Amino acid sequence: MTVALDGVRYRYPAADSDALRDVTLAFGAGDVTLVTGRLGAGCSTLLLVAAGLAPHVTGGARSGSVTTLGADPASDEGRRQVAGRIGFLLPTPWTQLSGMSYTVREEVAFGPANLGWPRDRIGRAVSGAMALVGIEHLADRDPRTLSGGELQRVMLAGITAMDPEVLLLDEPTLELDPEGARMVYRLLPALAREKTVVLATTDVDRAVEVATRVVLLDRGSVTADGAPDDVLGTDRAVALGCSTTVAEIARVAGHAAPFPLTVRAAVRRFAR
Amino acid sequence: MTLGYRPGTGVLHRAHPFTVLVLAGTVAVLAFTLPAPLGPMLLTAGTVAIAVAARVSRTLLTALAFAAPFWVFLVLIHVVFGDSPDRAVAVGSQISAVLVVFLMTLAAVHPGRLVDALLERGVPFHMAYLLVATLQSVPELQRRASAILDAQRCRGLRVRGSVWGRVRSVVPLAVPLVLGALGEVDDRALALEARGAAAGLRRTPLDPPHDRLAERVTRWALLGSVLGTIAWRIFA
Repeated sequence: MTVALDGVRYRYPAADSDALRDVTLAFGAGDVTLVTGRLGAGCSTLLLVAAGLAPHVTGGARSGSVTTLGADPASDEGRRQVAGRIGFLLPTPWTQLSGMSYTVREEVAFGPANLGWPRDRIGRAVSGAMALVGIEHLADRDPRTLSGGELQRVMLAGITAMDPEVLLLDEPTLELDPEGARMVYRLLPALAREKTVVLATTDVDRAVEVATRVVLLDRGSVTADGAPDDVLGTDRAVALGCSTTVAEIARVAGHAAPFPLTVRAAVRRFAR
Repeated sequence: MTLGYRPGTGVLHRAHPFTVLVLAGTVAVLAFTLPAPLGPMLLTAGTVAIAVAARVSRTLLTALAFAAPFWVFLVLIHVVFGDSPDRAVAVGSQISAVLVVFLMTLAAVHPGRLVDALLERGVPFHMAYLLVATLQSVPELQRRASAILDAQRCRGLRVRGSVWGRVRSVVPLAVPLVLGALGEVDDRALALEARGAAAGLRRTPLDPPHDRLAERVTRWALLGSVLGTIAWRIFA
């Protein structure tokens, strides 16, 4: 497992309660793991802790053990060890701009350049990442003139260009239109073949199409962890408002759990 | 108004970032050391000529917008209520020269090229980034203020009319501007860390600017002119 949390508690500075409570989880390559829950459940915090950004950047207090790529990513030694090996995408693309790029190509190259790669390797990585995310046509545009959705794709390209072993995506489709969101989700299974992909989002309807594992959080604690049908198809998940629209409709229509999560699954089950 | 870098092909855009910075520093020092009012006046004319020749003349309108209130106050104080028009021209020219050269530098120096140039001289990335972020903060705050202003006007804020009305409209603009900027600091720190900016590795300059002999000579000449002027003003 590339990411392992054991009995982790985390509290933000000046907060009255823990954002994560006794979280024990492990993530590895091969799965697209969807972490979801109601707002404030701790999904984004879980990713921050796994990346070591909490408490290193955010402050606050953490207890328990976090091991990412063999090191505690919040420690000085661990930060050196995981530098460039964890890709973290925030939900707000405009706050992720480097501030020193005037073309998309330069912006995507910011991360790889920080890792000290040779220029020809950076060029190849940037071209590959832009092609992967489908933003080659934006290469010479000023990132500041892009829409939120375009900018989020630029940021995703910037992260994937660094070729990280762990991809932590916090609401990656928040700014995207439905087609753009579908395109991002379609990338994830291919990326997950070699990388650890953890996705925190409330966009469960679309994310469940690609997720192979779901972790459900409630008030900082893990309440369920398993296959999507087992976690999100339950009465509890639907009652929490954390499941898909299709599951909610099935529940309101009086069907019994486990509920189907996607339209295709509903058709399979009810159109016999 | 034009604030911040604008892509271009003029002589200042092509120049090594250090040359443009040294030019800016030279103008800033000479504006206050050359004999006034003639020195600052000639300096202002010179910087305007450079801005036109370097195809960054749009910054002149911005400089005019910034300098105009100073000129109004200087004329009121030294001409209308005083009797020293030379003083008004001197101080006004000093301010104008510095404004023109500062805005010209912002418009012509690509932040990435400046960072690359600093990295090539062995400056640590975090220090180079800090310098560039400081230079970029002006246009960044301008963009943010413009968005906040639009939002507040949609919610009924009146920003025109009497002076008192305009003063009152500053508060609903300034508070979200400052608080919003502070609130984004955490996100920006997270993003920079996630993108390897704090990895402690030696960053690869993406487009290191070529430092030609002519530019190195120009920089030394500019520094020489500053030192010469200071010596002349002290000992003459």
